[in-house]
This record gives sequence, C-alpha cells and structure tokens, in this order.
Amino acid sequence: MLWLQVLTNGLMLGGLYACIAAGFSLVWGVLNVINILHGSMIVLGAYIAFFAYTLWGIHPFASIVIVGVLFFGIGYLIQASMINRMIAAPVLLTLTLTFGLDLMLNNAMLVAFTADFRQLVLDPPLGVMTLGPVVVPVDRLVAMALALALTGFLYLVLSRSRVGRAIVAVRMDRWAAALMGVDVRRIYAITFGLGTLMAGASGPLLAMIFPISPLTAPAYLGKAFVVCVLGGLGSVPAVIVGGIVLGIVESFAALWFGPEHAITVSFALLILFLIFRPTGLLGKKGFE
Amino acid sequence: MKRQALIGVVLFAVLAAMPLLGDAYTLRLGTTVLMYGVLAMSWNFIGGMAGYPSFATAAFFGLGAYVGAVTQKFGVPMPFAWALGGAFALAFAGLLGMALLRLRGHYFAIASLVVAEVLREIVNSATDLTGGGMGLNLPVPRLATVEAQAVFFFYAMLAVTAITFAALLATTWSKLGFGLRCIQQNEAAADMIGVNTTLYKTSAFMLSAVFVGVAGGVYASWVHYIEPPDVFDVLHSVKPIVMALLGGVGSVFGPLIGAGAYLFLEEVVWRHLLEAHTAVLGLLIVLLVLFLPRGLLSLATRAKGLAR
Amino acid sequence: MAKIFLGAVLAAAGVAVAGIAGAQQTIRIGAPLPITGPLAPEAVKQQRGYDLWAEQVNKAGGIDVGGKRMKVEIVYMDYQSNTPRAVQSAERLITQEKVHFLFAPFGSGAAKAASSVSERYKVPMIAVTASSAQVYDQGYKYLFGTFTPNETLTEPISDIILKQAPAVARVAILARNDLFPLAIAQEMEKSAKKRNLQVVYFEKYAIGTLDHASALSQIKAQSPHWIFATGYTNDLVLMRKQMADLKLEAQVVTMIAAPAYQEFIDAAGKLADNISSASWWHPAVRYSGKDVFGTTENFVKLFREKYKADPDYVEASAAVSGALFQIAIERARSLDGTKVRDELAKINETTFWGPIRFGPTGQINSLEPPVFQIQGGKPIVVHPKAIAQGNLRLGVK
Repeated sequence: MLWLQVLTNGLMLGGLYACIAAGFSLVWGVLNVINILHGSMIVLGAYIAFFAYTLWGIHPFASIVIVGVLFFGIGYLIQASMINRMIAAPVLLTLTLTFGLDLMLNNAMLVAFTADFRQLVLDPPLGVMTLGPVVVPVDRLVAMALALALTGFLYLVLSRSRVGRAIVAVRMDRWAAALMGVDVRRIYAITFGLGTLMAGASGPLLAMIFPISPLTAPAYLGKAFVVCVLGGLGSVPAVIVGGIVLGIVESFAALWFGPEHAITVSFALLILFLIFRPTGLLGKKGFE
Repeated sequence: MKRQALIGVVLFAVLAAMPLLGDAYTLRLGTTVLMYGVLAMSWNFIGGMAGYPSFATAAFFGLGAYVGAVTQKFGVPMPFAWALGGAFALAFAGLLGMALLRLRGHYFAIASLVVAEVLREIVNSATDLTGGGMGLNLPVPRLATVEAQAVFFFYAMLAVTAITFAALLATTWSKLGFGLRCIQQNEAAADMIGVNTTLYKTSAFMLSAVFVGVAGGVYASWVHYIEPPDVFDVLHSVKPIVMALLGGVGSVFGPLIGAGAYLFLEEVVWRHLLEAHTAVLGLLIVLLVLFLPRGLLSLATRAKGLAR
Repeated sequence: MAKIFLGAVLAAAGVAVAGIAGAQQTIRIGAPLPITGPLAPEAVKQQRGYDLWAEQVNKAGGIDVGGKRMKVEIVYMDYQSNTPRAVQSAERLITQEKVHFLFAPFGSGAAKAASSVSERYKVPMIAVTASSAQVYDQGYKYLFGTFTPNETLTEPISDIILKQAPAVARVAILARNDLFPLAIAQEMEKSAKKRNLQVVYFEKYAIGTLDHASALSQIKAQSPHWIFATGYTNDLVLMRKQMADLKLEAQVVTMIAAPAYQEFIDAAGKLADNISSASWWHPAVRYSGKDVFGTTENFVKLFREKYKADPDYVEASAAVSGALFQIAIERARSLDGTKVRDELAKINETTFWGPIRFGPTGQINSLEPPVFQIQGGKPIVVHPKAIAQGNLRLGVK
C-alpha cells in the first residue's frame, strides 16, 4: 500500500502548499505584482512563532493570529509607501523592487537569527496515528487542517465582506470599480496586507513541521509560484486545487523518478502549464 | 551610430591596455566586470530592446559553462569549446523561444527563471557526464605564470565583450533594433504594420543567449572547477538586469557602464560591510527602481538638457 | 571609464597595503571563511579552532623561524558561502594581504576550487574540512588535508555493525546531492557490496529538499536492516523526524555528518538515540604529541576554558592545521613557501589529532577515525577498541 501512504503524504503536503500560496495568488491576481518577499515573510512568521514558543511558551496556534494581525499592518505599510508608486510601472520594475526588498529582509534575518536551522519541537509532541496501512503524523494533519481553515477564512473575507467584494471588483476591472466609488489605492493596500497576513500566518504552521532558516525562503516562494500557475489565479478554490495537485505530484514524482527529481518535475510541469495552459486548471484569465 | 562606434573603439583600446597597469588580482576583477558586461549587454537585446523581462541568463550561462567544460574534458581545445558553448546556448534559446515567447509579462519572467532551475537539476543528475553535485574539474591551461594566465583570460573575456558590444551596436541601428523597439511599445500594432514579431523576438532571444554561452565557457576555463549551484545561480540572471537598469535599459553603453558601476560598489561594500552586503544590494535595487528607473545614463542626458 | 577608475584605485590600494605589509613582523595565515550565507555556522567552528591555536602559540612567544620568534596573525576574509568568491578571497589574501600560508575554505568543493590559486602562487594550503579524494586529484603539490578519505569512515563502521549484528543483510542509502555527502554515500555502497550486503535503495535528494516523506516511505517498503543517510544538520534532523512520523524503524541508523555536532542532538532530542556515525576525531580519543597542545586532553581542556563547550572534529581540525604549519615552519627554519611545503610533506608525527602522515596527493592517510553512537543524549565512542567508551546498541525506533 505504498501508493496510499504516498498519496496521504501528498495530500497533507498539498494543504500546506495551498496555504503558502494563497496570499501570493491574491496579490498577483489583484495587483498584478509578484511579491518576491512572500517566502521571507513566511520564514519571519515562523521565527516569531519559534521564539514566542521557546521564550514565552506561546503555542504556535496562538501565534498564527498574532502574526497574522501584525503582518497585515506591515503589508499595508509596504504597499502604501512603495508599491503604490509602481502600480502602473512595467512588470520588470515591480518584480525587481520586491526582489530588492526581499534581499534586505533576508539579509536582516540572516544577521539577526543566523543561518542555523531552528526546530520548533512541541512539548508534548503530537505523535503519530495509524489508519490501516497508512501512518499519519498528527502534527502534519493538524497543520493541514489549519492551513485549509486559514485559506477558507480568506475565501470568506473575499466573498462575504464588503472589503472582499471591493477587492474582487478591483480585480475584475479597476477603472469600473473606481467609477463605482471604490477607493482603489486603499483596496490595493488592504489586498497586499491580506497577502502578507496569509504569508505570516502560514509561518507558525510550517514552523511545527519544517526546520526554520532564512535559507528556506526561496523554496517556499518557488512552491507558491508553481501552485499559482497550476491552479490558476483569481480564486481561492484555484489555490487549493493547485496546492493539492502540487503536493501529490511531488510525492509521486519522488517515488517514481527518485527524490532528487521531485522538484525538477514540479518545475517542468510549471513550464508546460505556462506554455499550454497559463490560466491553470481553474483560473479565470490571469493578468498578462 | 558612427559616434558610438568610435567611443566604443576607444573604450576597448583603453581596456586592452589594462594588463599593463594591474596585477593578477586587479585583472581578475577586470575580467569579472567584462563578463558581467557581456551578460548585461546580452540581456539588453531581449529585456531592454524587446521589453520581455528575461531571467534566463543564468540558464544560458550555465549551459555554456558546462558544454565548454565537458567538451574540454574530451580534449577539445579551449577556443572551440567556448564556441561550442555559445552554439549550444544559441540553439537552446531558439528552441526555448518557440515555447516561451508566446508568453508575456510575469509569465514569461517566471518561465525563464524556472528554466535555469530545471537545467541545474538535470546537470546535477547527469553525474557521470558532469560530475553532478560533485562538480567538474577543468584542465589547467599550460601557461607559465599566474600573471600570464590572468592576462590570457582577461583578453579572452575582452574579446567576447567587444564582439557583444559590436552586435548590440549593429542591432540597435538596424531594422531588427527598430522592430524590437516597436514590439516593446505595442506588439499588436507592430504586427499590424508588418513587423515579423515572432522572428524578431526569437532573434533577440537567441542574441541574448549566444554571447552569454561563450562567456560561460570562458568562465569555466578561467576558474577550473564548476558546480551546478555556482553557474546556474539565479543571481547571474538578476545582477545583469540590475546593471542594465543602473546604466540605462535599452541603450548601447548603459549595460556596460552599469556593470562597472555595480561591481565597483560591490567591491567597496564587500571590503567594509562584512555582514550586510546583500542588504545593501537590495537597498540599491529599491532606490534605483523608485528614484532612477531610467538608469545613470538618464542623469547624463538630463544634465545635457539642463546645460543647453 | 568606471573600470579604469576601478583599476587605478585598486592598484593604488594594493601598493599601499603592500607597503604596510612589508614592515610586518608576524606570520600571516589567510583564512577565507563563509562568515555570511548558508555555511556560516561552519565558519564559526573553523574560526574557533584557528583562534585557539593562535592564542596558544602567541602566549608561548610565537613560532621559532630559524632562531627568530615571530607571532602568528590569522587574516580572515568572508567569501559569503559562494565558491567563486572563495577562490577570489584566496587570491586576494595572497596578492593584497600578503599572507604566507593559507587555510582552505570550508568543505570539499570550495577547497578544491581554491587550491588552484594556492598551487599557482606556490603558497602551502591545508584543507581543514575536505575528505573526498576528488579534492586532491589534481596533482597539486601545495595542498594538504587533515581528513582521511571517505572510505576510512565507511569501512570500520561496516565491520563493527556486521560483527555486532551479523543478521544485517539489507542496506538503504539516502544521500544529499552535494560533493561530500554524495561521495561518502558512494563509498558506503562500495563497502556494503564488498561485504555482500544487499543495497535495496540508493537515491539522492536535491539540496534544499523540504520533504523526505516519499523517499522514506519507499525505504520503509523495502524493510532494510540498516539505513545510511548523509547530509547536513538540517537535512538529517528533518529526516529523522520524518522517519519517526512514518514509523520507519531499523536495526541500525547511521548518519553522516550531523550527529557529531551538539546542534543535531539538541534539535533531534530523544530521536537522536542510537544513531551511529563516524568522524575523523572525537574528544574522547587519546593521543600524545609534540604539537603546541601536547595531548588530546589538554586540547579539550583549553578549548573548554575558552569556549565553554566541548570541541567537535571541525574545531579540532582547524586547530591542528595551525599546529602543523607551526611544526613545518620550525623545521624549515624559514617562511619560504616551497621549503615549508617540503617539510609538511615529510611530517611523520603524532599530535593531539592523531598520527599525521600525508600521502602522495597531500591527503592524510594515517588516521583511524572513531565510530560513535548517541546514547542517552551523549556521543559514545565504540571504536577503536583502545578508547571505546561503550558498545554499539541496536534498534532505532
């Protein structure tokens, strides 16, 4: 029943990937900005959870909320101060801007925390469940559940709240939305804030499972890219589908082609999708 | 064009005299500046003139480096190995272009970025051919002294840089250059007025690859030992873009000036700010994008404008 | 324009530095280190070893160079964990900083790359953390290394395990796709096949892999008796945790190279128990030599006093590299690169690190690397018998 175990691994991984990518997809889809900072923000969120737990005993689950709120504020500020100037600028410039900001953040983290890997070890550990032929680590299961819950929260915000509807309106047509009285610049800032909220909030989740270091930031960013392209931009369900597909693809690729190729296969898939189906599996027409 | 060509000739003549001034270490720095000059100017073809933000430079560089290294392992003499590196990069860009040049904006950027990652892992796995994660040794050229080697590689890179410059100059003033600028402004309109956009884009993409491939081959011979993470490093894609931005995207001299200015800054920062160099690079990029998106050359034209 | 300016500025700076350096009275040894970037933790270890040695030497009055006592100065340079920069640093240290000798950058890849520089300038260089034979295969004369080749780690541990548990027949190998971890995994495969063990799984994982679940699930399906995994601390900690997550158990689990570091034991906690490993040195070995530290116990004591922690093999290797330069300089009675190089090649001496003899490629070939196992949260040496502190325990859950 090896494939069943691998499938389970893939599903759990997929839920995490969806959560990682949700904020990234939102910012890309609505603002047409690729936020290279995304990976580093996840790591920063993870560090905060780590220190909160080891120094003050604050459980990572609680950190999710704390970090989320904090990062919303940070994202709003970044957008309002810098990125708003660049909204109409060519893709190259906005990409390079967030790249530069990421270099600064990553270096700052390296200096502050060093490259040493930290591991958030829950005490008492959550243990392992055996469901028939499949072994399921409880922490991953819980993390996946929370990841999906967080993504669901985003979905609710977008579909039920006034702000959420405004964001969707801006995404569909910013000029029309402005004509209808939506303060587009403020919506942009809120959207970016939501994006960073999601990034930061995934940090504590991931901290429970993966070792933490600024060096892992590019890997998370890479996953976010692939999920967005696979699933498609423009909706939360697309992100969830993209995440789960990626998780399963990676797990089976490691099984069939060898672990060293798992990441390559996912990138190759990315390129194929970009060439043949850039809108992804579920995407509405993405921005160009 | 003539004026620019003249300035170019003078510039390269002065550079050719550099070995008389400096020691092996200075030459090493100079060779690095020239190499990045090639990368930045090459990027200019597709990124600066055509307006397609390509991050594939690292892919072409790594490909050129490994083709050059592996062929040398089989006994091919250096200059031919380097030429082969360029040829492979050219062919690869042609094929890749067919797939990728249909994409625009962000999608094109990501796809080009990912190509380098995929190539790196392929090279990593082909352990028997390329040494995989254990790297590849190159035969050391049989040149008497350290100084002689430094001079040799400086001139080799200078030659590549000069050729790239000539190509950039020629393209800028040719029909191809005009067509690319049209494509950048409005691709659909360019298509309508009869510009063969597919051919032009692909040509630009291939031009952005061939010299980079040769430079990769020279680099591999220069350092004698390469590993996948070194030559397929994403920074080989990003730094040339920053350099072109710094100097002036789309211009003839911009990328070269940008390369020199950037590396000068980097050298100064490295000496003095131990822990913060990446952050400083990031800060530079941020300031550049926010306040000087047209690069240093635009300061010069603005100054000229004020002086009138 | 910028480039000419650059050239002029650097040439002038070079002359200025040379002028200052010319009036020195110290022995300058260059140490390019990855002070920033992913390998930064390793740089700290090497630095501690060098600093301890320099301090001891200078406290004793310095090194005797043909009758004149000269103090030692270590010149550090950061190469940002980037191999091409490591090579550049090596060259800068020689040409601008005018160092007499070099310690190699961290690891096999960077050491190999930098050795081309030291060879060209005829500056002796000691590789402090390079074990793969591939590092020394360029026929260079000025490169020496304090780590024995990888098979000296895999052979003894294979013998011990088979002696303790002759029923072990199936081995699974998972290696990081990087110079040292892959090279040593390949040696393990050879050692296993030599003893007629069945290698039921041998795969590489990419650098930066965040999830080993698929590989480990596959390994579990093969029911190996012995699992051999290579990588750096973060890889192996994650792997061990995922093994527990998937309930992957085996008679023997060997990991190289993390278990030698306290960081691994701290991060893995109870999961570290009964994990076996091998390395080139361990604080429990007992050697007595003519170097500035004298005995292993003395070295460990001095290290503890200065850094409030036990030394690991990287820190010890860095310190002994300094001590070896010292011995060679004193014998050569000069700072001339070629003379010191010749003395290094002739060394046949015991030090606190162990017996030192360099083979024809410059790599040491006289060590008997200890095999150890984590028991009760502490590393316990199980081989060689002369210094063993305990026996190998079987069973890793």
